[in-house]
Amino acid sequence: MKRIFTCVVCPNGCEIEAEYEGNRVLSVAGNLCPKGRDYVTQELVDPRRTIATSVRVTGGTMPLASVRLTKAIPKNRIFDAMREIGRITLEAPISIGDVVIPNLLGLGSDVIVTKNIPKA
Amino acid sequence: MTHVQAIVVGGGPAGLAAALRLREKGIEDILILERETLAGGILRQCIHDGFGLTRFGESLSGPEYAQRFIDRVAQEGIRCVADTTVLDISSDKTVTAVSRKRGLMQFQADAVLLTMGCRERTRGALAVPGTRPSGIYTAGVAQNYINLQNIMVGRETVIMGSGDIGLIMARRLTLEGAHVKGVYEVLPYPSGLPRNIEQCLNDYGIPLYLSHTVTEIRGRERLESVVVAQCDERFEPIAGTEEEIPCDTLILSVGLIPENELSLAAGVALDARTRGAFVDEHCQTNVPGVFAAGNVLHVHDLVDFVSLEAEQMAESAAEYLNAGSLPACCLEVKAGADIGHVIPQRISGTRDFTLSLRVRKPMRNVTLVLAQKDRTVKRVRLRKALPAEMIQLTVRKADLCEDADLEVYVE
Amino acid sequence: MRDYDVLVIGGGVVGSAVARELTRYRLKIGVLERESDVCTQTSGRNTGMLHAGFLYKPGTLKAKCAVEGNGEFDRVAKELDVPFRRTGKLIVGFTEEHRRRLLAMIERGRENGVPGMELIDRARMDEIDPSAGGNFAVFCPTSGILDPFLYTIALAENAVHNGADYHLYTNVTGAARLDDGRIVLNTNRGEFSARWVVNSAGLNSAVISEMLGIPGYRIQPIKGEYFVLDKKAGVFAKIPVYPAPTERNTFDTHATPTVDGNVLVGPNSFPVEDGEDYSVSRSGMNGLQESGAKMFRHMKREYYIRTFAGARPKRVDPQTGEIQDFLIERRDEVPGVINLVGIESPGLTSALPIARRAVRLIEEKERLIPNDAFDPVRRGIRRFHEASVSEKRQLVAENPDYGEIICRCETVTRAEILAAIHNPLGVTTVNGIKVRTRASMGRCQGGYCEMRITAMIREELGKAAEDVRLTNGRSFMFTGAVKGGEQA
Repeated sequence: MKRIFTCVVCPNGCEIEAEYEGNRVLSVAGNLCPKGRDYVTQELVDPRRTIATSVRVTGGTMPLASVRLTKAIPKNRIFDAMREIGRITLEAPISIGDVVIPNLLGLGSDVIVTKNIPKA
Repeated sequence: MTHVQAIVVGGGPAGLAAALRLREKGIEDILILERETLAGGILRQCIHDGFGLTRFGESLSGPEYAQRFIDRVAQEGIRCVADTTVLDISSDKTVTAVSRKRGLMQFQADAVLLTMGCRERTRGALAVPGTRPSGIYTAGVAQNYINLQNIMVGRETVIMGSGDIGLIMARRLTLEGAHVKGVYEVLPYPSGLPRNIEQCLNDYGIPLYLSHTVTEIRGRERLESVVVAQCDERFEPIAGTEEEIPCDTLILSVGLIPENELSLAAGVALDARTRGAFVDEHCQTNVPGVFAAGNVLHVHDLVDFVSLEAEQMAESAAEYLNAGSLPACCLEVKAGADIGHVIPQRISGTRDFTLSLRVRKPMRNVTLVLAQKDRTVKRVRLRKALPAEMIQLTVRKADLCEDADLEVYVE
Repeated sequence: MRDYDVLVIGGGVVGSAVARELTRYRLKIGVLERESDVCTQTSGRNTGMLHAGFLYKPGTLKAKCAVEGNGEFDRVAKELDVPFRRTGKLIVGFTEEHRRRLLAMIERGRENGVPGMELIDRARMDEIDPSAGGNFAVFCPTSGILDPFLYTIALAENAVHNGADYHLYTNVTGAARLDDGRIVLNTNRGEFSARWVVNSAGLNSAVISEMLGIPGYRIQPIKGEYFVLDKKAGVFAKIPVYPAPTERNTFDTHATPTVDGNVLVGPNSFPVEDGEDYSVSRSGMNGLQESGAKMFRHMKREYYIRTFAGARPKRVDPQTGEIQDFLIERRDEVPGVINLVGIESPGLTSALPIARRAVRLIEEKERLIPNDAFDPVRRGIRRFHEASVSEKRQLVAENPDYGEIICRCETVTRAEILAAIHNPLGVTTVNGIKVRTRASMGRCQGGYCEMRITAMIREELGKAAEDVRLTNGRSFMFTGAVKGGEQA
């Protein structure tokens, strides 16, 4: 089987022409770095993505703190992750890197804060 | 009037990086003027990741990327005056600004570094036909409401234009429970980066319609629907292809325009192609001592390049401040076949410089040529060249001659 | 039921002028306005032209009111603090036929009492405005430009200042008469009664007239579309430039500088069924680009910042369809009703003269006692942008809110937005702030300031996000919170 993948690992966004059988990658062309091959392999076996969203904050200078995942999670768990993150309310002050949810849904990825919010 | 060595107008990614590099180069008296309460510019609302891969080797969110610079500016003790709007810059580098705390202020600067960023093109500029209901937002405005103010702009959404912020917002809206019905791009190719098409649209099953545009907006109070149609090669809607799409929200992502109102006041000449200043290889405008970098100069695709360009500008500005002037740049850099624009537009021919450019149309397996008269300066083979992506090249002085303009074209 | 001496239906420029002129007397005055503000329809959707009065048939109300309104406007603008410039106007021609029409127009102007009109050649035109198209022109020195939003608002605010009540979002749905002769108006907000009712309902004036017992009028809305051009184009435009009148003695597309430095190009002109359909069309805009370029040599796409449309409520003969004069009437068989029907262009110029005629019709039936407390002066919101550097310094020193720029394109400060949010009419919409301050009227069209303005509306008026409206009815801006909890 042949398919063109757009690698999302970096802004180069390489168009990778991959030949594969089942989950096994036979050849790749068009990637500027080895991460491209890993990406295609991952896409075939278990496509993963990170997400970024916000959580409520009380008592801070802003109503929302932005958060992101430390590692990609399976694509089909993204909306489960959003629901889980949506339950959280933080209390100011909070700082970049604060872990909001460790090991989100047991997927091995932490939800961390990406913005400093002092007390109002 | 207070004297200041270097005034940096705008504390976004370009301004912060420029101020830091000025300090590194020994400039003591630096003042950043920032109109928001917090520095960081547009990055404050860009909460998605993917920033800093080139610079820091990791994928950061916008606020994290900005904070690294903000922290260093604070450590260096560089003055950043927030909540302050610059009202005017004159050609003799008098800067007039206002803030509630400090009132009206006037500064006499030796150098002014323009880092005001860009703004979004609007519905009015495109003259999109139809009514004027609520529910129409540019992508950046929607992003601000959603990511900073905790306000949801709508539920049933159509996106006009495939700029990167529009693509990012398609994903963002979807994650927050809105339904994005499609992205309609008038060009036959996307305006945004391929990875954003993949991870913001394809991942979420959001259709992208190329050579399509919104031909009418309907609804007298809140938006009720838009009419979309296929377009011909002159971007005119093709009769009979119209389709009405019920929606309550229209997000526009139809281009960014460098914010040069203050530059114009200072007498800075603008390039009609970039809508930013004409600059030389020192990022110096036609007004001596006035420099520009980042999105105010030309719209970038990645913030990492904004930081880099601002740092290069700051090095030149420091040299200008220390030496009193910079080497003359008499050679013109011309955008030739299939090149949309080039930065800088003038060079000396005696120094290395970074050339930034965008191509006019998507191309594969092409050769980019830099030539002076009949002499080839550089040839670069590109597997793909997309208008969505900024191309940067380092040009060595060893390859240049000093007596001919430089032309850049696709072979 | 709320009782008044006089109820005015429609708070446009004419209704507000009537209300303001009536407050010169000891009367209890109420204005019923269907929309969210006083200038959302015809009064706010036009060229903002103070007409000289040369176009109209001698002896008509249009001719008389325009000349009268034009003559007094320097005083009116000063009294009401309305941006106004007496620019003069060029009416340009290309052909010999145009020359003939222009000469006839000068003659008509003379008959109507319009001073100073003259035919000038291209060389003179170049001295006046090189951006004007045309080979020759009539120069009319008395024409001017004004801010139609602020004029209407100023009249309304001055009326309120002198005791009139404005009822916004109040739609008159029916009328009845009490035994004592008073008129009752049914509205979506309950009943109102009065001894006198003034119909200044613009596009709906024929409908309201019939409701009040005077059937038989017909309003034909004539729609026009416009471009608003950037101030970068505005630096070229010195004076309104109109084409020679058409065979039917109307004007096609013209190009007019605004008091704020933009340029309006339009309107085209076509009859429509629904006068309140303010959509603009692709074909219309393409046509304006072409016809506008004949009037204004710098008409370019890169200068577009907005489009809009309006409709002139022309009164036409129900049989022949022929366009009629303004109608200002009181009929003995329908006592208590002052009927103002078909007030279209030059309605902005004519608003006060029409209002005085309406008051006179009431005065003919009852003695009006002067209101000694009447104050003709209204002060607008002090604009930071228009102040000199030293005045700016002073303004911020006195009020720090002048030091916070909310709209960067038009340099509108927090102080101005706050004054607009707490306006005397009680308007609470985003567009209401816009027309009072110019915030979001610039080239970024609210990209920077709209989010700040909506936040200020929420904060100052204690509104939830979902209660913020752009303009009328269900024009809600937001659907709620992203994550629940507080909003910024």
